[in-house]
Amino acid sequence: MSRTGARLDAKKVNSELFTLTYGALVTQLLKDYENVEDVNKQLERMGYNMGIRLIEDFLARTGSGRCYDFRDTAEKIQSGFKIFLGITPTITNWSPAGDAFSLCFETNPLTEFVELPDHCLNLKYCNILTGVLRGACEMVQMEVASWFLQDQLKNDSVTEIRVKFVKRLEDAIPAGED
Amino acid sequence: MTVHNLYIFSRNCTLLYYAEWNRLNKSGMTKEEEAKLMYGMLFSIKSFINKISPLDPKDGFLHYKTSKYTLNYLETPSGLKFVLNTDNSAQNVRGLLQQLYSQIYVEYVIKNPLCQLNEPIQSELFKNKLDELVKSSPYF
Amino acid sequence: MTSITISAVRPRTSILDKSLSKGKSEVSLSCYALLFSELVQYCQNRVYTVPELQNKLAEMGAEVGHRMTDLLVMREKSGKREVKLLSVLLFIKSTVWKSLFGREADKLEHANDDDRTYYIIEKEALVNKFVSVPKDKGSLNCASFTAGIVEAILSDCGFPAKVTAHWHKGTTYMVKFDHAVITRDKQLEDR
Repeated sequence: MSRTGARLDAKKVNSELFTLTYGALVTQLLKDYENVEDVNKQLERMGYNMGIRLIEDFLARTGSGRCYDFRDTAEKIQSGFKIFLGITPTITNWSPAGDAFSLCFETNPLTEFVELPDHCLNLKYCNILTGVLRGACEMVQMEVASWFLQDQLKNDSVTEIRVKFVKRLEDAIPAGED
Repeated sequence: MTVHNLYIFSRNCTLLYYAEWNRLNKSGMTKEEEAKLMYGMLFSIKSFINKISPLDPKDGFLHYKTSKYTLNYLETPSGLKFVLNTDNSAQNVRGLLQQLYSQIYVEYVIKNPLCQLNEPIQSELFKNKLDELVKSSPYF
Repeated sequence: MTSITISAVRPRTSILDKSLSKGKSEVSLSCYALLFSELVQYCQNRVYTVPELQNKLAEMGAEVGHRMTDLLVMREKSGKREVKLLSVLLFIKSTVWKSLFGREADKLEHANDDDRTYYIIEKEALVNKFVSVPKDKGSLNCASFTAGIVEAILSDCGFPAKVTAHWHKGTTYMVKFDHAVITRDKQLEDR
């Protein structure tokens, strides 16, 4: 194993500041867009932008290499949640082919003080997470799709995100060669 | 011991950053041309190495050595490529490459929202910190 | 939407049944920094000028501030809030800052030439940590977001004021109270 250099100090901030800042962002989006679907999309896009940067932080911190298989990926995603949000979702419901799994959250700092009003029942409040997953995986040459199966904000007992492997992305080839 | 020069390539073959310290012999081509050839050479070495490796190569290509210098290579799982040329007496340069990635690139490019990820790095802060790290390393 | 929605889905256990969190859990700084960066970029795409951008950031900060007031007054002050001007400022400098940013603000100062104006000074503001302001936006200070938080808390506590963020000794928040606030505070003192 190669040396990873001095580990960076994992600096933290209060999760309430995070919760409320995210809340302020979602509130602003709801004011700016007429359609709740558009808010969901915008959240996903923001998550993607965060994901493509968070992955580098994750790799630098953990010094981990590329995944051997999708189970390995699932575990790395799980530890990513631990590092960045301080929560450990459980990995369950593997598909028989091993190409899809669920992440189940008991608690989630994004939704700490949240209750959805009646006119927002279509809002995927935490949709930013699916964007983060897409962005982060794309950077390590993997296309994944993810969506919410259950949501505590909609009266389910847990929040469940389904993550499905779509395809491997090829390394970029220099111009003029193929 | 001495450090000659550094290339950083993005996952899409863009030359993100180039720096040189003690480089006496110029290749006589433009920076762009040189970078393109460098990338092409690395690409070929890598793919051929993987083909002939008896076992799963894991980290794959790490460095090559000529009679005059060593080319040290680090590729992150996200496809960033760091290339550092040193003289032959420098040992274990990989640790320095890891530091360049985790303490300089991640801190001053990734966490700076104004740095676009696929464009050449303009940030002065990045430039200074990188220079500082390389110059303070025992290989310099 | 014009249709009347009859809520079919209502949590059986309402959020009010949960006990208030202790506010001790944490998330990584890089995660927060990236979220904040998305927030700034989003705002930036919807405005034209630096003052507009700062206003927008302050508006969003206010959303956070309004909620912080209730949370902190309940948790840290057992439901009582400050009535004196100086104590409310100290509440901001210590309690609010500690729970939001993990430490007190560096300094609290009173302006020499104006009894309505106070300064809260912070050498390194959390929200500015990773931001390097491009030259064409010289005066932009993303701490306007924090200023919005402070302004909302002050006004919720009954001390309406205008709070702005400036680049001075790090980041300085200028708090300018309404005249009525100062008059009232003087009356309180006289009693």
